[in-house]
Amino acid sequence: MSPWKQVALLAKREFKERATSKPFLITMSILVLLILAVGPAVNLLVSDETEATQIGLVGEEPTSIEPALNAQAAVFEIDIELIRYPDRAAAETALTEGDVAVVLADGSEIVFHTDVSSRLSALVGGALNTAVKADGLADLGLSDDEIAVALAPVPITVITIEEEDVEEDAKRAAAFVGTLALYISILMFGQFVAMGTVEEKQNRVVEVILSRVRPWQILVGKVVGIGLLGLLQLALLAGAAYLSAQMADIADVDLASIGLPIIAAMFFWFVLGYSFYAFLYAAVGSTVSRQEDLQGAMMMPIILIVPGYLLALVAAENPDGLAPTIGSMLPPWAPFVMPVRIASGVAQPWEILVAVVGTAAAAAALVWIGSRVYSGALLRTGGKVKLLEAWRAASE
Amino acid sequence: MLQLIDLKKRFGDVVALDGAGFTVDRGRILGFLGPNGAGKTTAMRVVFGLVNPDSGSVRWNGGAVDAADRLSFGYMPEERGLYPKMKVRDQLVHFSRLSGLSKADAQNAVDRWLATLGLSDRGGSKLEDLSHGNQQRVQLAAALAPDPELLILDEPFAGLDPIGVESLAGTLRGLASEGVTIVFSSHQLDLVEDVCEDVAIINEGRVVLSGSLDDIKNESSKRRLTIDVDGEPWVPRAAGTTVIDGHGRSHSIVDGDAPIADLLAEANAAGTVSRFMFEPPRLTDLFREAVGS
Repeated sequence: MSPWKQVALLAKREFKERATSKPFLITMSILVLLILAVGPAVNLLVSDETEATQIGLVGEEPTSIEPALNAQAAVFEIDIELIRYPDRAAAETALTEGDVAVVLADGSEIVFHTDVSSRLSALVGGALNTAVKADGLADLGLSDDEIAVALAPVPITVITIEEEDVEEDAKRAAAFVGTLALYISILMFGQFVAMGTVEEKQNRVVEVILSRVRPWQILVGKVVGIGLLGLLQLALLAGAAYLSAQMADIADVDLASIGLPIIAAMFFWFVLGYSFYAFLYAAVGSTVSRQEDLQGAMMMPIILIVPGYLLALVAAENPDGLAPTIGSMLPPWAPFVMPVRIASGVAQPWEILVAVVGTAAAAAALVWIGSRVYSGALLRTGGKVKLLEAWRAASE
Repeated sequence: MLQLIDLKKRFGDVVALDGAGFTVDRGRILGFLGPNGAGKTTAMRVVFGLVNPDSGSVRWNGGAVDAADRLSFGYMPEERGLYPKMKVRDQLVHFSRLSGLSKADAQNAVDRWLATLGLSDRGGSKLEDLSHGNQQRVQLAAALAPDPELLILDEPFAGLDPIGVESLAGTLRGLASEGVTIVFSSHQLDLVEDVCEDVAIINEGRVVLSGSLDDIKNESSKRRLTIDVDGEPWVPRAAGTTVIDGHGRSHSIVDGDAPIADLLAEANAAGTVSRFMFEPPRLTDLFREAVGS
């Protein structure tokens, strides 16, 4: 039987036992449902603005105010609905209660509640202007068609010389969410590795396993099995986020297509970052004998991870800063900081190369160091084994 | 045939093994005895490569033990432990597959051993839901299910009730008759005397006595003399005798040179002699002598 077949069996057990455990299934169901709910929820929040704008009319008014308002609304690309009120008081009440956004009173006053909307003000004012002119032209004996031609709105194109990149912000936000997910995943699955290691030491099953396989096989099997579970969880969450983004109907921003490269990047950096931290977690996990002692031992990887996350936050604001630039190339932090800088479009190809190669090399070194500490500490029970002691014990 | 040859191992200042060695032939059961801390567990761990000896070697069928050999060994460590939350059958199949069995073979072997150990209906339960005794049986099944050629059991009888002891003893005898080589450690010397053909006694890292139980007994200069008397309490006083256990009316003396005639006269003087038995030494007697207590 080849050692790798045994590693595969060990990884399969880790994956299967955890993936079918109730806590995992429940947590995943809740998270997926929550994420799926975000898209439709965004629509609900945004949809109010897309409803027709109510415009109140009261008192005397130019005869052709209605077609004029509709024509203006078409120019402004706003859906409007006209409501007539019997008297000024009724119209103001409607304004106060929010039933209408604006009231045109007596063909001469544009009334708002508290805030003046310059857009609506321009719309109603323009319409009023047109309607009064149309009425005058009608009095001069022009036919409706002639009036329409005379008063046809000039087609004006409004442009900006530089395009506002609505996607820029969306990209950065998505990269931020991605980094957060990455940070949480690495922390969570790294801790699973440490906890699994202590668990096997604490309930002594490790000696039963060690009579069949070498320590490095247990270590690699555990890291791979739990890592696959991490990828499964990321895939489920990313899939839910993608569906949710497709359900969300936000004008001009195609969330789903922005999300895809971010999701792909997240998988890539998870594999790198997890490889680095999982072996570190396994090594520190193997040095303690009881879950109660684990919290203290896990401080070391956490102390390494947290600055990475903080640097990612800095990078989101200032991707070209000195600290984020350096941090994005150093192995412990590259997996968190570099994706944000890549999403911001400032990362140079050589910087990305340094980050990837450096992190991969550091992860490989940790496989070796971690395995050795793990081997040396695995059969030592009762109390905490110092890292250096475990390192030396491995050669015994 | 399993050979442990001149094993030495130090942990810092502690000498765990100091030239320990013994041999067990195929199909024999060897009782591995010794006081606490004598080196039994360390020696067993060396067989599985869990501890690397500073010097000495372990040989199986004449060759150095390699990873493939170890997969044909079954081990029940002194520190019991399996996955508490994993289903009994699932974890036994897992361990058997780690030992190199195919999925189908592993499932068959596990089902067979669960039936033999009376656990067929518990295969789907989580280990932690089983009673202590049943957990112990599952632990044994983990060592037995891969159908090992060599079985090394550290204190397998500890914690078993008399019926469990009898049934495990029967299982071990059955396996040995099929050609499985078995080494187990125990502090229950009567039990070892009952189950084992061979013994090895280890003390302070050295094997001080080993061989077939019959040979060891016959070669020993010691004899056990038991004298029961109905009458007044008395104490044997004949020159050179040491009473190793007994009370006012019954005494056991282990000494090949005991002055039998003098002792019989003393006993007759104390009352009616109801038993005067001269027999080979018991394992307990040999153990005491070997470990010097």
